[in-house]
Amino acid sequence: MTDLERTFCGVVKLIFLFFLFTIYFSLFTASYAVEPPKRIISLAPAATEMLFALGLGDRIVGVTNFCDYPEEARKKPKVGGMSNPSLEAVVSLKPDIVVLSVDGNPKEFEERLRSMKIRTYVFYSKRISELPKGIRDMGVALGAKEKAEALAADVEHRINKLRENKKTSLKKKVLFIIWPEPLMVAGPGSITDDALQMLGADNIAARTASTYPKYSIEEVIRRAPEIIFIGKGQNSMNEVSEGLLRRLKSTPAARNNKVFYVSDYLYRLGPRTLEGVEELEGYLRQ
Amino acid sequence: MKNMKLRTVLIISVPIIIFGFSLIAGPRMINPFVADDISREILFSIRAPRSIVALLMGMALGASGAVLQGILKNPLADPYILGISSGASLAAVVGIMAGAVFLGSFTIRVLSFSGALINGTMVGIMGWKRGGLWPERLLLAGVGLSFFFSALLMLLMSISSDEGLRKAMLWIFGDLSMSEWSKIPYGLAFVLPGILIALLRAKALNALILGDEFAHSLGFSPHRERFILFVAVGLMTAASVSLGGMIGFIGLLVPHIIRSVIGSDSRLLVPFSALGGGGLLCIADLISRSVLAPTELPAGIVTAIIGSPYFLYLLRRKNVLSI
Repeated sequence: MTDLERTFCGVVKLIFLFFLFTIYFSLFTASYAVEPPKRIISLAPAATEMLFALGLGDRIVGVTNFCDYPEEARKKPKVGGMSNPSLEAVVSLKPDIVVLSVDGNPKEFEERLRSMKIRTYVFYSKRISELPKGIRDMGVALGAKEKAEALAADVEHRINKLRENKKTSLKKKVLFIIWPEPLMVAGPGSITDDALQMLGADNIAARTASTYPKYSIEEVIRRAPEIIFIGKGQNSMNEVSEGLLRRLKSTPAARNNKVFYVSDYLYRLGPRTLEGVEELEGYLRQ
Repeated sequence: MKNMKLRTVLIISVPIIIFGFSLIAGPRMINPFVADDISREILFSIRAPRSIVALLMGMALGASGAVLQGILKNPLADPYILGISSGASLAAVVGIMAGAVFLGSFTIRVLSFSGALINGTMVGIMGWKRGGLWPERLLLAGVGLSFFFSALLMLLMSISSDEGLRKAMLWIFGDLSMSEWSKIPYGLAFVLPGILIALLRAKALNALILGDEFAHSLGFSPHRERFILFVAVGLMTAASVSLGGMIGFIGLLVPHIIRSVIGSDSRLLVPFSALGGGGLLCIADLISRSVLAPTELPAGIVTAIIGSPYFLYLLRRKNVLSI
């Protein structure tokens, strides 16, 4: 090999490397220097609520069948369920970004979207304490930084306030009923359990095998909850709960009229979650 | 026949012992003689009605299985193969998902009972030809309807929310936790007459197993007997499904186990299948509410898990299969 050839090879290699660098950097910067996405699809009700709270509602072009809050969300085009959204429906709406949540949506679906060069954002917060960071990150990714900062600051403020109030004793034995027949309750890992922990209350179903376990009625009687919450409001749960409450009539909660129908705000980790926690706090103080 | 007597005593006493044990055992043991207020309440208003419902359901399923295997002349027959359960499940799941409450806590039970009866009637109509019910027709009609209703059920479940899906699944796998004293009379009102009819017509059932001509020559009208027994099975199965959802396997397995112990004379097979079914469901329910306490497992899963291996063992051991 002559010197000339060697130099030539070196130059070719350099050019090649340079190309690699350009490609690498252009990709790298493309994924970070985002211009705010104009067409957003949300694949989780909690994410939908969050997007609306960040003022991005009019950019949403698709939601799941379960996205029912706020009212405008119901009018958006549907792309299927949470665990089984339609890939075709998602793709045909030509989204700039698809927002998913870490619990509700299958990981494979997110990978599939990325392999089709569709940008995704996964809302990963699972606990109330992670919510402010989740909101901020989402604001950055979706180009709603200021709104997100304001919302996150508000949530943070309310969390801190709840934590301060906790010093006064709210340590009561609590059961949170999701569904009365068969009895399904909020167990470890649920946002409701997280809220109760945050308030310093003692969830009698805190140590069970699953997040929403089917719970033993005799153990409820045995563990004698002082307060019973029933989720999803009096109107929808009053009649179905009758039978169960009759059987729990000897518990301190039932004897002292401490059975409360509460909202379903705690079923989703989003902008309304703190309202849900404050609602529980109000009843715990009574 | 000394051996036979011993077996009889065994088959009667085991379910009774199991029933007693299921009262004192559970997530925590309760000594009925030194029980405090809470324990007494758990014993009388939670465990006792629950164990009685388990017993009733198991009896209904066991007896239905024994009768059906006879009238359909098929060792694979069980109350669910006729599709009665899928009709009941469909009706119940529609009710659960629509949040129907028009009859309070009885709503889902009434819905599932009607679903079961409607399905049973449809199977009966399909199985009816030339003035009577024909075994093969019944069986095929049952399987066909069962597929249809299961498909509708799957359709509903695949478009429902995750929450609704979970509630529906819990119901379908069988749930005894909602057993109350107030619901037992209704269960009794359908299960006991069903068992009684089956017992009274056991001789005819024996004849039917041997063939229609044979039954005819013994003075039984095959079509009439088959119809009466079919109605009894329908009532028992519908009652059991509405008491506690679908509990798999008892109707298929228990008659085979009993047959291997006492032989295939329906006069013994029907009552003992009822007792065996009751005992098995009682113990399955005890396990389902105790092993992971305070979380409860669906009883239907436990019956299948403890039942299937024993059934397979029997299958390997026996040389001849008969009904």
